[in-house]
Amino acid sequence: MDKTSEEASSKGKKRQRDQQPTDPQTNQLHHQILSLEDNLSFTDTLVALRMMRAQFPRIDKVSIQPFILRSQLYSSVKDRTQVDRELESLRREKVVRIFKLNTGQDDHAVMFFDDYLNQMENVVKRLEEKEGDLEVFKWFRTQVIDSKLEPSIEHQELYTLLSLGGMVKDGHISLLINAGLLILKSVVLWSFSVLASYTRQLIDPNMYWFAIPNIGSVLKGLSQGRKEVLSFLNRRRYKEMMLASMEKKRLRFSPLDMRFHLRDLIGSGHLKTVQTSTGLLVRVSKD
Amino acid sequence: MWKEIGDRERGILRPKSFTTRIKSNRIRTLQISNHKDIVSPHRASINSLQVDLTEGRYLLSGAADASAAVYDVQRATDYEGGGLIAKHKCLFVVDKQHEHGHKYAISSAIWYPVDTGLFITGSHDHHINVWDTNTTQVVMNFKMPGKVYRTAMSSLATSHMLIAAGTEDVQVRLCDIASGAFSHTLSGHRDGVMTVEWSTSSEWVLVTGGCDGAIRFWDIRRAGCFLVLDQSHSQLGRRPTIPEHSSTNKALTSKSLSSGQNLNAKLRAQQRKLANGNGTKQSPVGRMPAKGTLRQRLHPGMLSSLDRATAHYGAVTGLKATEDGMYLLSAGSDSRLRLWDVESGCNTLVNFETVRLQAGKPIQLATSQDSALVFVPCMTAVKAFDVWSGNTSQTFRGHYEYVNSCWFSSQEQELYTGGNDKQILVWSPSRLIADEVDEGPAQDRDNWSD
Repeated sequence: MDKTSEEASSKGKKRQRDQQPTDPQTNQLHHQILSLEDNLSFTDTLVALRMMRAQFPRIDKVSIQPFILRSQLYSSVKDRTQVDRELESLRREKVVRIFKLNTGQDDHAVMFFDDYLNQMENVVKRLEEKEGDLEVFKWFRTQVIDSKLEPSIEHQELYTLLSLGGMVKDGHISLLINAGLLILKSVVLWSFSVLASYTRQLIDPNMYWFAIPNIGSVLKGLSQGRKEVLSFLNRRRYKEMMLASMEKKRLRFSPLDMRFHLRDLIGSGHLKTVQTSTGLLVRVSKD
Repeated sequence: MWKEIGDRERGILRPKSFTTRIKSNRIRTLQISNHKDIVSPHRASINSLQVDLTEGRYLLSGAADASAAVYDVQRATDYEGGGLIAKHKCLFVVDKQHEHGHKYAISSAIWYPVDTGLFITGSHDHHINVWDTNTTQVVMNFKMPGKVYRTAMSSLATSHMLIAAGTEDVQVRLCDIASGAFSHTLSGHRDGVMTVEWSTSSEWVLVTGGCDGAIRFWDIRRAGCFLVLDQSHSQLGRRPTIPEHSSTNKALTSKSLSSGQNLNAKLRAQQRKLANGNGTKQSPVGRMPAKGTLRQRLHPGMLSSLDRATAHYGAVTGLKATEDGMYLLSAGSDSRLRLWDVESGCNTLVNFETVRLQAGKPIQLATSQDSALVFVPCMTAVKAFDVWSGNTSQTFRGHYEYVNSCWFSSQEQELYTGGNDKQILVWSPSRLIADEVDEGPAQDRDNWSD
């Protein structure tokens, strides 16, 4: 009990910004914290995860369950090593699942286990209308997701785990890939070098990444939104702006709201916040 | 300070903790040196720096214009600014004009660990040269199949004199100075090898980091590597937790066991399954059947080459083992710095706040003497991180362009950094100018009357 109020006050800085959202959202957050409080223990990362999950923007075109980026966690909890370690223990306890995203460097999305299962259900329901052979999704859900907690899986292991459910054919694995649950791992070599001419890509036929289905448009919005926020600040004369006024801006290219992007960019180090006498200032970091 | 000296006199403070305290205080005040300057004769970016391990006196630098130079960092060649600034010019330089010199960039220059009579340079012209320091002549030359990225010699070795070379080629080659030939090659990496380091606890163990993102540990007396670091195997803390008797913790310990043991068992099991299911299974990608037969033909020691675990999501650009040999720091082109527990092979999940690290070129990391701080070249600055918590302790900004290498001299508590701006900068603990002036010839003002 004390811990929640303490964490709420330590995140007072963040709470100030959150005065803006509408009342139903804060009520929902309050309600959520009250109901989960009895069941699960609190770690700082978990509180941050739940807060951000509740603040996930509503996207009308795509129905997607809330996910949190790892960089957002880094911006809301002070000690990054603690975030990493707590995320790791949450992952091992099957509270959250971590996915590697393909938008740039080392991006990870954290999603609560139940949200992920709901997302899978929605996708499977939509596919049900088109085709019939859906036992593979059941096997995937019961055998693979429960036991394999890492973000990637080897072909052989996937095969053996699925066959615990029944006879697996190759068509089944392509069904999973088409549904967006698995992605072929492509080892990109030298992709981060300054000289783009040195990029080589190898498709590794044996490894798959787990993926969140139906997330493609949101990811595109994510990278475009990042570019938009950074270019907006870079165009200004002193490359900085008050946080309060930044939050009111609407983004043209991204369905995700400004707060989502700000947290992500501050956590990944592209932007830094400076405390001034009139409030927080957001500045592009030069390094 | 005086109280500490008094305590040391009385025996309240132990000698080792006294020296560590003074050294860490000095390290905390590191800044760009106002009394020491190294005059670099290089006309291109500096790729490698090393102070010799025997005396800690001579600094060897290798640059991209195929030149290597040696400086004496303890005695200056001349003084400027009224005796206040010590200029260290190079003692000699070997460059393209030298008859056996390198033709392309030197990527790595290291001293022979036993004494400063020899030094070894590896270059992008596919050659490794062994030079005699006193005569500045090449005494031995090894030709490699690709550009040499890193060379390393073990400072602990008493029974071998092998140079480990990481090149563009997927195999790591060991060159023997005693015989002048290659002793053997280590295969397992799937792309070029950017960094090689010998272990600081065993003279037989070599650690290599490749462009495929894998970090492999090799025992050179055996074939194949015995450990491949996997970033998804992690432990929460410096050492893995002591296992209790519960199912969840059993899963934890199985993850934190040396992956070599698990790996061999897993692969052998997979081998058996493949042998049974090869006929009926049709793979979606046509390479599987060939892979299956390939697996069955491999020597059991070479099974590790099939382990595709990666330590970084990009190339591994820098490796540094701590002095006690228990932990390994690795830097990758995914701009992450990771700390690994060597014994368990797990990622300790310490988060170092690096925003961007230089990709495409190997970088040289340095650790302070008790391995509490690690100095990492981050683009144009060098940052000192606390190894156990990942916090940035100091940032050294002074170079105009990207920094490639840094070396920490624990004797003097000085940091030498070299970068693309052709400069070698010295960072030393702050010293008051007044101290220097006192050492000058003192005028005897009392001697005005007889």
